[in-house]
Amino acid sequence: MRRRLKSAVVAVPVAFVLASGCQKAAPPPPLASVVVASCAAIPAAPGDPAWDAVPEYVAVLIAQDLVEPRLLRLSTPEIRVRAVSDGSRMAFRLAWTDDTRDDLPGPAEFVDACAVQMPRVIEATVPAPQMGETGRPVDIVFWNAAWQATVDGRGDSIRDIHPYAAVDHYPFEAASLQPGSAPQQEMATRYAPARAVGNTMAGPRQSPVQDLSAEGPGTLSPVPDGHSTGAGRRTEAGWSVVIVRDLPQALTSQGDSQVAFAVWEGGHEEVGARKMRTAWIPLKLEVKP
Amino acid sequence: MALAYNWQIGRSMSYWYPENRPKRQFAAVFDINKCIACQTCTLACKTTWTSGKGQEYMLWNNVESKPFGCYPLAWDLNLLQQLGAQQWRGKEYAGRTIFEAAEAGERVLGWRPADLDYAYPNVGEDDCTGRVDRGAALRAPHLNWFFYLARICNHCTYPACLASCPRGSIYKRPEDGIVLVDQSRCRGYRECVKACPYKKVFYNALTGTSEKCIACFPKIEQGLQPQCFVNCIGKIRLAGWLSPPERARADNPLDYLVHIRKVALPLLPQLGLEPNVYYIPPVHAPDEFLSQLFGPGVPAAICTYRKGPDDPDLAGLLGLFGSTDRVVPRWRREDDWVAALDEDGSQIVRVPLKEPVYIREAFDAQHQVTRTNCP
Ligand code: SF4
Ligand code: SF4
Repeated sequence: MRRRLKSAVVAVPVAFVLASGCQKAAPPPPLASVVVASCAAIPAAPGDPAWDAVPEYVAVLIAQDLVEPRLLRLSTPEIRVRAVSDGSRMAFRLAWTDDTRDDLPGPAEFVDACAVQMPRVIEATVPAPQMGETGRPVDIVFWNAAWQATVDGRGDSIRDIHPYAAVDHYPFEAASLQPGSAPQQEMATRYAPARAVGNTMAGPRQSPVQDLSAEGPGTLSPVPDGHSTGAGRRTEAGWSVVIVRDLPQALTSQGDSQVAFAVWEGGHEEVGARKMRTAWIPLKLEVKP
Repeated sequence: MALAYNWQIGRSMSYWYPENRPKRQFAAVFDINKCIACQTCTLACKTTWTSGKGQEYMLWNNVESKPFGCYPLAWDLNLLQQLGAQQWRGKEYAGRTIFEAAEAGERVLGWRPADLDYAYPNVGEDDCTGRVDRGAALRAPHLNWFFYLARICNHCTYPACLASCPRGSIYKRPEDGIVLVDQSRCRGYRECVKACPYKKVFYNALTGTSEKCIACFPKIEQGLQPQCFVNCIGKIRLAGWLSPPERARADNPLDYLVHIRKVALPLLPQLGLEPNVYYIPPVHAPDEFLSQLFGPGVPAAICTYRKGPDDPDLAGLLGLFGSTDRVVPRWRREDDWVAALDEDGSQIVRVPLKEPVYIREAFDAQHQVTRTNCP
């Protein structure tokens, strides 16, 4: 609560807001739906002051407790959502409280993450809020803190995770192999099976987000030509993450849809189905471009 | 949950999916009595499959000294403690499997090893921390005994790893029962790491996916035994195909050892996975300990094994261990010879029941040199 008051105070300068292209002058009181404010340019950074003027929806998070493995211990209580669109793209800024920065993965170390979900087809009855259902897909954009850390410059070696790790030898770093050469790369890939098949769940990533689609729990799959973008930043209280995706064409004509969010608190071993999530929340495109 | 029959515990049990046995099941027998803990198997696997970044800590094959050794730390003790008392009523397991003991909201009873639990394989297991001549010696509350336990993934009939994955990224191949993590589908949730009681799925933090023993399936597909089998110095291992008990054949070496002579036993059968690596228990360790590890068949197995020298079939078949790099689907003894055979009955290799012994004079009179013994 204190945080929300603070952002209301900070978000005043009208000139600032106009300069960034957003039409709202100051955040109105808490919303009943996620309102996508119109703006001339998407504020891609979570700390962009343009976000201060965008109305905020506070979404209550509930535990994923429908499919096993369930989350039985509640963690993150709410997520604060702001949304804008420039007519072709839409952006969500998600902020939530999290005492710990969890961005280093390990066998029992999980990373902080969040996701935005929307139904692929806008229709009167929405698909099941938990990952959609057969024949009624949902589109998801997923961000995680480990990907963000590598995009922000963390290296891709065991010493970037365990600084004092000692490694005798990697066969693909033998003196006889020219670094970066095709045979060297081929050999390195041989020992990284997931990368060999194009599954980039870790490693030197270009983006901290991934486009996914699902037709029910357990069916999540990457969208090959997904081009959503994102950026996350650690704040004093937790995380602030911007996710930018295409504005669904149907949304521009129909004006409203539904949206759902999920947060994973790595420090609570939340991953995959073990997550805090919202129900569907009405989504309104404020100004039709 | 469905009901599935698990012959190792003599009853049906609940499992996430219905019983669905593969056309044939990759299986192995390890004769613990012959393992010398040379770790050649461990390195054969390591150099073949896990020399990549993010795989540094992984030992898909490991060899630990029981009773104190474990990799990862306390892999067995943690779960056995969580599971509580495990009683057998004769050959039927009267306790709960890890599927039946799963807490609400979970698919399997499990626990997660931390990074550091993998950090010290074998450290201190066999070492004395001081000088024996100054009194440093192990004083255990039981007689001093130990044995080496070589472990790989058991390519279980009811894999906990597979049951636990909410994405269905783990599959059991219908053609050979080998259990694999689909590297294109895995999203690194590590449910399998938590669920596998043998801790034989490993998370690779640099690829973001979980990885496990693949039973060297490219070799198996060519009829060859996996790397840790053919490189085993102690010749303790034999790979083959195991039938369900009701279809056991005496000319199938795995069926013969597991179902007919019952000399090779599953590891922690009470957990309910129907693991497919079978161990000939060590003859010198106490039954109480061994029965917890290998089930109620231990005393009979040891008794049969001890009579091996007077049992030409058993002794002959054990002689085939380490005699060929081919998978051995059939075998036959002919008098003092035992043959490994292919499915069609053609001979793979033939070994004598008793290796002939040649004794050479220590001094070579012809060349006027002293002979040295080298293989
Ligand atoms: S031993 Fe573990 S990893 Fe291997 S099949 Fe069984 S449950 Fe899965
Ligand atoms: S190679 Fe064979 S003898 Fe050596 S440790 Fe492994 S299983 Fe034991």
